[in-house]
Amino acid sequence: MERNKTFIITKWVSYVLLTITAIIWVFPAIYALTTSFKTQSDVIQTGFRLLPASWVMDNYARVLSNTSSAPIVRWFLNSVLISTSHTILMVIVVSLAAFGYARLDFKYRDTMFFVILAISMFPAVVNIIPNYMIVHRLGWVNTPLAVIVPGIAAVGNVFLVRQFMTGLPKSYDESARMDGASDFTIYLKIIVPLIKPVLIVTSIFSFTGSWNDFLWPTIVLNDVRQLTITAGMLLLQDIYGNYMMIGQLMASAFLAMIPTTLLFIFAQKYFIESLNLNTGLKG
Amino acid sequence: MEKSMTEEIPVQKKKKFNLKQWIFIGPHFIFFAVFIFFPMIYGFYASFTRWNLLSTPQWVGLQNYQTILGDPSSSFYRQFRTGLFNTLVFVAGTVPLQVIIPLILAIMLQHKGVRFKGLFQAIFYIPGLISVSAAAIVWLLIFNPRLGPVNNLLGSEVTWVVNQPYAWIVIFMMTLWGAIGGNLIIYRSAMSGISRDLYEAAELDGASGTVKFFKITLPMIKFPLLYTIVMSTAGAFNVFAQPLMVTQGGPEQTTHVLMMYIRTLAFGQGQSVAGMAAAMSILLGLVIVVIAAFQFKIMYSNAK
Repeated sequence: MERNKTFIITKWVSYVLLTITAIIWVFPAIYALTTSFKTQSDVIQTGFRLLPASWVMDNYARVLSNTSSAPIVRWFLNSVLISTSHTILMVIVVSLAAFGYARLDFKYRDTMFFVILAISMFPAVVNIIPNYMIVHRLGWVNTPLAVIVPGIAAVGNVFLVRQFMTGLPKSYDESARMDGASDFTIYLKIIVPLIKPVLIVTSIFSFTGSWNDFLWPTIVLNDVRQLTITAGMLLLQDIYGNYMMIGQLMASAFLAMIPTTLLFIFAQKYFIESLNLNTGLKG
Repeated sequence: MEKSMTEEIPVQKKKKFNLKQWIFIGPHFIFFAVFIFFPMIYGFYASFTRWNLLSTPQWVGLQNYQTILGDPSSSFYRQFRTGLFNTLVFVAGTVPLQVIIPLILAIMLQHKGVRFKGLFQAIFYIPGLISVSAAAIVWLLIFNPRLGPVNNLLGSEVTWVVNQPYAWIVIFMMTLWGAIGGNLIIYRSAMSGISRDLYEAAELDGASGTVKFFKITLPMIKFPLLYTIVMSTAGAFNVFAQPLMVTQGGPEQTTHVLMMYIRTLAFGQGQSVAGMAAAMSILLGLVIVVIAAFQFKIMYSNAK
């Protein structure tokens, strides 16, 4: 009887706290969304009103038609190109490397891998300044390559994929090798199909990471037309914010959020899996 | 003589095999060498030089470090102190909550009577997928002194981002908004792996909810907890986007974090002082490493 009572009390306390937090968490996004459909006179009216007096698409029309000071369509396409290329390149490079470190026999294989892993753990702050110099020497400043390529070097993804490849039975490769398959055939036809889920997870993470990256793009991209949408947000405050064009600011912010949020809606289970993988493996 | 000839064959075979792995590990190794290993070495080297980012660095020994750490008349000394202090304020203000809030939410979501778990989890997680810069634009509206819902709903007249401690509150709030979801999922999955038998046995012994949490749940999720604490701390030390977008470092430099100074010194308008900036980033990197090592040590000695 006593236990039952505690159960019910804790249940309702949980519901109340969860609901309050959920409202606080959802509210800013909803408010931004509804504000993006308000007219300018509606926006600058004081007093709280969630829904627009009349729903208008003006803010989106204005923002999307800006091609000079804040070319958001261009930024959006830049981001799509950059994040997609980064992800594809990452999957190829990482799965090849993971195959090498997990399934080929060579001298100092594990030592080499763990030395690389250890070096990569030193905080990345130190690399930023020299990386700019390298990207500059390569002639990549203000080109998509500056934001597509350097991130491929990260070792965390190799670690994750390698871990999964190590778990697959050795007999797969051996029997294929008996049949005369080359290492590359084994990689492409046997191992990659088996670890597809892990590759999907790392792709999704790479895509969102690349889409949302802020510091590095603001350093290597300073031509307005070359910016990513995430870095472009920095300029918007001066362009729209100073003139109280809040509806247009919100429309822009909302456009920047769409791809990653959509990705989550369609691939929710992979997002959750990816977080479990990250910690589960090391546990 | 014949014997040694035959022995050469396997050696040669092995040598050939040694080249083959480079087809696989080679591409990543090159990226690693060019964009992680070389920059790291060069970053250490640059911290001992006077350098404007594009010319040849001039070796100055420990001079940058001496200026940053021991010359109160230098602006670099003041920038480093202010920047590091503000970064520490950010770490202290966000990291504990980044761990405690999702931990509490995870416990509540473990409750057998609570439904809509997936929905709650999605609501807490989605802000983490929004870029900090877009999130800042949204939160600036929420805390807008005249038009924002916070002031309008609470009837307050606080001018949020231009006064302390309000400026920090806005930055903390928007950081937590994006930061709790990932940790929440990690805790939930760790908790769901704990056997029910442990709790039932504890209940038979009359253990209360609090006792069960500290004696069963916490020890069982020790590793994921450590992982999230270390990762959240390291991430918080690199804070840059939130203060840049929300306060531009103000009011009166009180939210001007170290990464902002480092970036301005190296890449700002005017002559680049990249050597000095490199020295500051080495110091920041060392702080992160020392604190992570410290956290590992405390967690492991306590959890045994």
